[in-house]
Amino acid sequence: MIRNFIISGSGGQGVLSIGTILANIFMLSDKFVSFIPCYGAEMRGGAVNCEINASDEELLCIQNKEVDIVVALNQTSFDKFISKVKKNGTIIVNSSLAKINKTRDDIKYIFAPLTQEALKLGNIKTANSIALGILSKITDNFSIENVKKAYEKILKDKKDLIQKNIEAYFVGYNYIQER
Amino acid sequence: MNKELLKGNIAIAKAALNCGCNCYFGYPITPQTEIGEYLSKQMPANKLAYVCAESEIAAINMALGAASTGAKVMTSSSSCAVSLMQEAISYASSDELPIVIVNVMRAGPGQGYIFPSQGDYNQATIGGGNGDYKTIVLSPSSVQECIDLTYRAFYLAQKYRTPVILLADGLLGQMAEAAELTENPYPEIDNSNWRLDGAKNRPSREIHSLEPDQNKLNRHIVKLYQKYSAIEQNECDYEEYKTQDAEVIITAFGTMARYAKALCNHYRNKGVKIGLFRPKTLYPFPYKRLNELSQKAKIVIDIEMNMGQMLKDVRLAVLSNAQVAFIGKPVGDWLREEEMINAANNILKERYASI
Amino acid sequence: MQVFSVPKSIKQNSNFTFCSGCDHGVAIKLVAQTIDELNLQDETIAIASSGCSVLLYDFLDVDCLEAPHGRACAVATGVKRAHKAMGNNKFVFTYQGDGDFASIGLAESMHSALRGENITAICINNTNYGMTGGQLGPTTALGQITTTSPKGRNIEYHGFPIKTAEQIALCDGVSYSARVALYDIKNIINAKNSIKKAFEYQKKGLGFSFVEILSSCPTNWKLSPKKSHEKIKNELTNIYPLGVFKDINND
Repeated sequence: MIRNFIISGSGGQGVLSIGTILANIFMLSDKFVSFIPCYGAEMRGGAVNCEINASDEELLCIQNKEVDIVVALNQTSFDKFISKVKKNGTIIVNSSLAKINKTRDDIKYIFAPLTQEALKLGNIKTANSIALGILSKITDNFSIENVKKAYEKILKDKKDLIQKNIEAYFVGYNYIQER
Repeated sequence: MNKELLKGNIAIAKAALNCGCNCYFGYPITPQTEIGEYLSKQMPANKLAYVCAESEIAAINMALGAASTGAKVMTSSSSCAVSLMQEAISYASSDELPIVIVNVMRAGPGQGYIFPSQGDYNQATIGGGNGDYKTIVLSPSSVQECIDLTYRAFYLAQKYRTPVILLADGLLGQMAEAAELTENPYPEIDNSNWRLDGAKNRPSREIHSLEPDQNKLNRHIVKLYQKYSAIEQNECDYEEYKTQDAEVIITAFGTMARYAKALCNHYRNKGVKIGLFRPKTLYPFPYKRLNELSQKAKIVIDIEMNMGQMLKDVRLAVLSNAQVAFIGKPVGDWLREEEMINAANNILKERYASI
Repeated sequence: MQVFSVPKSIKQNSNFTFCSGCDHGVAIKLVAQTIDELNLQDETIAIASSGCSVLLYDFLDVDCLEAPHGRACAVATGVKRAHKAMGNNKFVFTYQGDGDFASIGLAESMHSALRGENITAICINNTNYGMTGGQLGPTTALGQITTTSPKGRNIEYHGFPIKTAEQIALCDGVSYSARVALYDIKNIINAKNSIKKAFEYQKKGLGFSFVEILSSCPTNWKLSPKKSHEKIKNELTNIYPLGVFKDINND
């Protein structure tokens, strides 16, 4: 089974960080995985997105026309990537920075005020991890051990952030349940 | 297995260091800049040679100088800037100097853009420099192969004393996959009989391409071609996928071959006897094996991310054994599975009603 | 009485193939004498360039590598750095013409100087492209007639020539930059001393050292060897003054 994801937002929102963490979680779960970053012409400051593919078999197509799940961390990326969601796929939208608006009726929407939830946790930069928590809830039950390992690997230079982000991950993970 | 999630560019840099690369010279250009960035941390820390050159011209010439000392030398660049290196590649071929040149291809012609592309097949395999010379060209299609073929590039460069091009593309350079930094499997090659390290207790040596004596120059070029013959004889490398009974053979190289493999799976499920032939060495091109396969085939479809550059080598291999068709797209978004299927359907529908 | 002999670093039985009266032969002999005096023969890698200077390896009995046109300083950078990476301290110098060093290779020359590469560059300035038959080069003087400036170099068409030694002296990475000439014994001795100093500075690891040698080109100047030297003495040294433009030990 192949699953594919696009994570999108603007520079500084941690798009590539959670993309890499997601790819690492899949790798630690013994899946074939690919991760492709994509910057706009303005490189590191502007729009940024990445595509992650995970599969039980050798990955052949590494860029796809449509994906199962899109995470949009702001309005621009919501507008841009809604068309990239497969029929019956899901888009997770940061409703703190994007208007709730359902222009397609063949996909599922999860609107979550990620920035506000992150502020509640005391660190605005954990909004991306909350999104990752939501994504993992609707995709896979990743082993908590692998999630922790992936965070430890990617944030190895910033130890204080590991706990905060894992906390945020679980806020996201439990978000749908609470609703 | 000790796998880690690695970008193609970083995998190339790590593999180079792992097999003893002690000199790197480069100039930034997207989409390969991470190679130089990664090495700028590692090499000075280990007192290895690393120069941010003033241009690609300077970088390849530094590489040429360094190679003459018997060092393990690499430079990396992309398409339009690899064009600037062609003169020195011609010199290094004549001088018989081992240099590994990484080209992480972007779109051309000219400046083009940073989209992935396979537009430098001709430049790499035919050569953009002057005179009778050939350059070994290796084509990875996964991050793991970026590692494996970097090792091989260094080995073949030393073994044959010749420049070797590792021809990756922007997608492979930028994408990350799980890969293992294996040990370098190749032996060290002794270079004490030709390197320039000062004429101590031996006659002085000279390395040059200039040769005012016509007979000597003729002999030199013939000698180079004997070497190329040996390379063609010994070093052809390719991957075959479901080719045993194939009536339809897809040919593709690099990242494009992965999509081509998906295309094979698609048609196998529809009962078409189809397989993939992927050259891993673009020079030497595996003509002989493709010719054998084409004798049992009805149609060969070449798929490339350009307007059909490997196509001429495919035709030379297939001759009149089978029909040759081409699917390609020069730049922009990668040629997607759906696009390939539409194009392939048009080619195959006359023969296979089932699709 | 002083007995002159062929320097050890000149190949046995090699005959200079330069035009009669050309200063290349003198310059190469001075380089070879200096290599002998400093005992560098078995640790030297010389970088030959394009132009009349290319045949260096036919005469010098040291390890020699030919560089593509203009790239000698980049090639020398590679040689020096590679040896350093392998724990060797080798002596590396380039031998280039003015077209090679200051025109097609100006970027490589200047950046090697700016980086302070610990190499030496010898540049033979004969104010024209000699090997191809005397065309206008970067150092061709204003008014000078060449095959591509038949009415003489003029500013409107050809722009100004480059004062190479002065330009190189401006680069922070340079330990030594001088211009010398070979038109009489005094100047030949002076040139030898400059070459020696430039080589010694490299041995001491002081950075890029540079000697520009004003040289005659009787064939292309269409003058006798004697008149060529008079031209250097009376005309060219006014445009290209002799002297030391940077010496890290005096500055």
